[in-house]
Amino acid sequence: MNVIAEKYSSNDVGAYFLYTHEAHPGEHMPHLTSLEQKFSHAAKLRDILGVTRPILVDALDGACHRAFGSMPNMTWIFNRSGLILYKSDWTDAHSVENALIYFLEVLQRRQAGERLAPFHVERMDYRNQDRQKFYQGLERNGPKAVTEFRNAFPDG
Amino acid sequence: MDDIQTRYNYDSFVPEKFEQWLNFDASPKVGALAPEFPLWQLDQTPVSLHTIVAQHQYTMIEFGSFT
Repeated sequence: MNVIAEKYSSNDVGAYFLYTHEAHPGEHMPHLTSLEQKFSHAAKLRDILGVTRPILVDALDGACHRAFGSMPNMTWIFNRSGLILYKSDWTDAHSVENALIYFLEVLQRRQAGERLAPFHVERMDYRNQDRQKFYQGLERNGPKAVTEFRNAFPDG
Repeated sequence: MDDIQTRYNYDSFVPEKFEQWLNFDASPKVGALAPEFPLWQLDQTPVSLHTIVAQHQYTMIEFGSFT
């Protein structure tokens, strides 16, 4: 996602990461109990995991995250007026880039004089599943996170 | 912390604590205006969702956390 953010920044596409809550709390990265702690964890997202996009922090009660469905790693695209153009319950860079290319082409088509009317479409996209990387992330959070995920999803 | 903060920031990844929050089907629809929310930048400067999205032709926001 960092790569896409950089790739399309010159097309007036903004890219942000919104910090929510700890989905898999562990001994090394426990659940949040204060806004100060939330800022600290968000900084680690930048410093340790290498998120280069500007990071926004939600309220401690996750008001924004909850209003948008509370999924652990979703992506939404908005236009300048705040209109929701794209929503995905999981983040996949290929899917997001595909949508961005389409929306940027819409601008070009309008500038070329085409009359365009909006319509709705639903689509099933597919994301990469890197189980090894996922479990490495759980281990980074602490043994508790690994155990709890295995208990919740024995076949995961 | 009040009840909603405690429940939202669950201390264990167990179904009775995390499943209640997974509610994507009830989220705002594509084509609707995004609801407004106060947010903060990493330097703790207050900002709002509408202010953020108004800065660019398009804005993509990835939701998530360290864990």
